[in-house]
Amino acid sequence: MRLARQMFLASAALALLVGSAFAALVLAVSAQRGATEREARSKDVVAATHRLEKLVVDVENSIRGYTLTLSGRFLQPYSTARSELPEQMETLRRLAADDPRQRARAAELTQAIEAYLAEYVELVLAIAQEQPEAVREEATAVEGKTRTDEIRRLFDRFLAAEDALAQSAAAAADSRSERAVVVGALGFVGSTLLIVLFGVVLARSIARPVRAVASGASRLAAGDLAVRLPPKGPGEVGELTRSFNAMAERLQGGRKELEEQNAKLRESERMKTELISIVSHELRTPLASVLGFTSLLLKREFDAPTRRHYLGIIDAQARRLTALLEDFLDVQMIEQSGLQLVEQKVDLATLLVEQVQLYAAQSPRHRLEVELEERPLPVHGDANRLAQVVGNLLSNAIKYSEEGSVVALAAERHGSGVRLTVRDQGRGIPPDQRERIFTKFFRGNAGATGITGTGLGLAVSREIVEAHGGRIGFDSDSGVGSTFWIELPGASEAAANDRGEEQ
Amino acid sequence: MAGTKRETNTAADAPTILVCDDDPPLRELVRAVLGPEYRFVEAADGTEALAAARELTPDVIVLDVMLPGLNGIEVLKELRADERIGNIPVVVITAWTHAEAEAWAAGADRFVSKPFDPDDLNRAVEELLT
Repeated sequence: MRLARQMFLASAALALLVGSAFAALVLAVSAQRGATEREARSKDVVAATHRLEKLVVDVENSIRGYTLTLSGRFLQPYSTARSELPEQMETLRRLAADDPRQRARAAELTQAIEAYLAEYVELVLAIAQEQPEAVREEATAVEGKTRTDEIRRLFDRFLAAEDALAQSAAAAADSRSERAVVVGALGFVGSTLLIVLFGVVLARSIARPVRAVASGASRLAAGDLAVRLPPKGPGEVGELTRSFNAMAERLQGGRKELEEQNAKLRESERMKTELISIVSHELRTPLASVLGFTSLLLKREFDAPTRRHYLGIIDAQARRLTALLEDFLDVQMIEQSGLQLVEQKVDLATLLVEQVQLYAAQSPRHRLEVELEERPLPVHGDANRLAQVVGNLLSNAIKYSEEGSVVALAAERHGSGVRLTVRDQGRGIPPDQRERIFTKFFRGNAGATGITGTGLGLAVSREIVEAHGGRIGFDSDSGVGSTFWIELPGASEAAANDRGEEQ
Repeated sequence: MAGTKRETNTAADAPTILVCDDDPPLRELVRAVLGPEYRFVEAADGTEALAAARELTPDVIVLDVMLPGLNGIEVLKELRADERIGNIPVVVITAWTHAEAEAWAAGADRFVSKPFDPDDLNRAVEELLT
């Protein structure tokens, strides 16, 4: 959910709670006021009742005195009360109008009073005008007493009911206001808790993640690109942390890429430097012989055989320089633009026979043997480059073995491809040199023993074989001889991974 | 590991020069440059050179730096550490031009870089023998 929406909902809930608590308190106050009003009215009712009762008592006493004495003096209070009674009764009826039962009781009371006045008091007074003796009888007094007793009983009942009514109203108001106070207090406590909760949630869900992002950003600025934040947090804050992580990820990726490129550049720079220093050394050595002997021949006189011998050395060393340059150009070309193979279907068997014939003519003192299980042996590749590899292996086998020994070349089908071996009976390769034998310019002890070469032949051969999707390797025992082997994929297979392993 | 030891000259009192280089044409060039008035002993690697020095106590050693196994600088240090042969004058001769400072530090008496002028080598050896 979006943060703004969450905050709006939380604020609305808080407002609702505060509002309810306030409403409850208002209700409590108004209930209290209602109860007070009810109490005041009840007091008015009671006072009015007492006044009315006093008037009735005045009437009763006045009439009783008159009937006993027949003296008009006693009628004075009656006539006063008689004039006030209607108004007083009206007041009572009005005050009692709120409660239906009290209204009925008030009506009954006032009716009883009116009936007392009409049916007894006025009758007694009328009779007293004509037969004064008659009203002095016991029966008149009894009748009056019965009536006023009844009225007094109605008064009592009215007052008791009014009292009960007032009390129950007060109790109801009390309990209502108590409830309202409780609700208000709960509302207050609840909203306080809610405010605190709201603050805590706000701090946890916004302030804390924002602080985490801020500290992460300063770590990032300080160069720690591995910094990541827990991808938590509501709405926009979560988006912020996720964006932050994505940014850090991209920065780190970018830097890693740069570092890798840098390392590659440094490595290639180092290799170039090493290559230059090796090449310059390799060039200087034959050049030293060429220049040295030339200088000697120019400065000093030598007999003819010695002169010839030195010229032979110059010639051999100059050829060595040429071969070195050619190999070096091969290596350079392979490293710069990769090996460009002119691929076609090649019969390896024919190629082998041609190479053996070539080297047999150059090295008449070695016995070169060829063993072919079947012909043709088709492969897909660059005929000139493959001839270069085979020539290289043959040349090595001849150079590193004694005159008169056998160099055996064999080829056979190997799986879907072709396997080729060149075996010599030479000195073999010492175990400590086997790992480096395909390394550029590595020649083992060859230089010390006068075997010429550049140390690039096997390195170039490996490049060529691997560019064809094949493998090159050797088995060797010191003193027994070495067997170099090459495995090339068959014609169709090589065409299938064509260029797949271009180097 | 076929080092070539070849003794030349005839006279018993001719000064002995130990030529140590892994390139056979270069050993021959050194012999040709210095001429027939010396007796030559040749070594094709550092181990051979040390053995020959201890056995024959040559008058001058002409030492290449880039050697298989023990290199020329290491050979020189070992020579200088050996009391009996530590004083033999050494001409360091190399195509490895970066090695000059190292060669001086290890105790070389002369430094000649390949390719060299025959007269430079001649002069260096003659100076060391007088």
